[in-house]
Amino acid sequence: MNVIEINQLTKFYGKHRGIENVTFSVEEGEIFGFIGPNGAGKSTTIRALLSLIHPTSGSATIFGKDCIKYGSEIRRDIGYLPSEVFYYEHMKVREVLNYSASFYDNVNYSRIQSLAEIMDLDLNKRIDDLSYGNKKKVGIIQGLLHEPKLIILDEPTGGLDPLMQQKFFDLIREENEKGATILFSSHILSEVQKLCGRVAIIKDGTIVRVENIRDMQKHNYKKFTLEYKGVIDVHHFNLEGVTNLTLDKNTLHFLFKGDINRIVERLQGQSLLNMLVEEPSLEEIFMHYYQKED
Amino acid sequence: MNVFKKEMKANIKSLLIWCCAQVFIIFAGMTKYQGFADSQVDMNALFAAFPKEIMIIFGMGSVDISKVAGFYSVFFLYFMLLAAVHAVMFGAVVVSKEERDHCADFIYTRPVRRFQVISPKLLAGVINILIFNMVTFGASVFFISQHNHGDGLVDKVSLTMLALFILQLFFLALGALFGAVLKNTKMATSTAAGLVMGFFILSVAVDLYDKIAFLKILTPFKYFEGAALMINDHLSFTSAVILLIVSFVFFALTFVAFNRRDLST
Repeated sequence: MNVIEINQLTKFYGKHRGIENVTFSVEEGEIFGFIGPNGAGKSTTIRALLSLIHPTSGSATIFGKDCIKYGSEIRRDIGYLPSEVFYYEHMKVREVLNYSASFYDNVNYSRIQSLAEIMDLDLNKRIDDLSYGNKKKVGIIQGLLHEPKLIILDEPTGGLDPLMQQKFFDLIREENEKGATILFSSHILSEVQKLCGRVAIIKDGTIVRVENIRDMQKHNYKKFTLEYKGVIDVHHFNLEGVTNLTLDKNTLHFLFKGDINRIVERLQGQSLLNMLVEEPSLEEIFMHYYQKED
Repeated sequence: MNVFKKEMKANIKSLLIWCCAQVFIIFAGMTKYQGFADSQVDMNALFAAFPKEIMIIFGMGSVDISKVAGFYSVFFLYFMLLAAVHAVMFGAVVVSKEERDHCADFIYTRPVRRFQVISPKLLAGVINILIFNMVTFGASVFFISQHNHGDGLVDKVSLTMLALFILQLFFLALGALFGAVLKNTKMATSTAAGLVMGFFILSVAVDLYDKIAFLKILTPFKYFEGAALMINDHLSFTSAVILLIVSFVFFALTFVAFNRRDLST
């Protein structure tokens, strides 16, 4: 079953494009990554899912129900962490969290306490005395306290130190194991790589690709590093499937997608000092996607 | 209920300040009346020496201010102004403050419809203007009785406060509509403040120039007259009905507009 289904979702702000024909779906129980550079339309998509904004055209359903029509009903089971965390400044952390909890039925208030302990957050501080990272923690707790079935995270880790990030990821995995579906938006690919099963890549408001993260790394691309003894003829590797070709002194780097034998053929008779064939990092694949069209 | 409570709590300080200001105005005004009365000067004769325009601007165009009811009726203009500013600001801010404070993502992603957030906010607004009105009433009766041999003119003041409340309701609705329609709080409050000022200037202008008297339908400040309320015990039924209908329409439009609104982060 698909928890989220987005179909040709488009949002224009006047003439300014937000997103255009965004289509993808998130299955129940998965951790789905949503990556793209800043301004690509990640937040716009998410805000439309939460009916904070109204799409120009297209539709989206969550739990099989239309996002706009059944917004309030759907949101009972959604936990959302916005990218920019702002809360009622004059309130104490505890007050904000209790206020948040007051909108849900059957909230276990002791969960606020236990989550705060995990995240190492002082509930008695005022919101305006908190650092950015600590505000983010408030955001995480308010997003999780009602044990939502769908957790939407928009750039969740900004401002958290590595230790906290780890705790946060553990928390998310735990929720996922308990059955929660997670939509994880980020421009930091290593964290998406760590957590997510599938990923949608968005650029300039349109989805470039939806892919299984392992397929994406394993089957499609190899990262080659060739160290030569002498002069390198760059044109030698000027064949289809080679991208991101860079020359650094006597070392050649490129990404290759296709039949590996064709590279092996090219290597015959070459005098190499060293050769590396690696799985490319998501960053490199990502860069490649984005350079393709430029 | 949670939103209502939060709004009441958030506004208690400012309400207190508004009420104090109002009590002070009434106190200072009535003390001045005592000063005039004690000085044995014929006030009507004294003020008759002033240019008519000045008298109109200060709301003392055509009343006998040597009587306490007449003197007090002049206050109505200032009550209207103060109450209008209070109500219109409340409405404009209460509807749009989450966007201003970047909390919209917080509250509108809760499992509630937008009207379920806006309604308790507006209810808090109605309670706030009602408290403001009641404080005005209490202070008025108290200070009038101090200068009127213990008679607080409860009936007359009640009628005046009823008119004031209808106006407050109108301005609350107007402010809320601005908050829902305009881009942000700042634009909503400044437009609202400008309009209140415009209404006031127009209300003075129609008194000064008979030729444009027909324009008085455009300014809510001309719907009720202090003198009619305090001296003739007359509250214009037509005015009340028009203002209430317009307020209702504004409230309805607020809900419609806010429901369609794209919330900013």
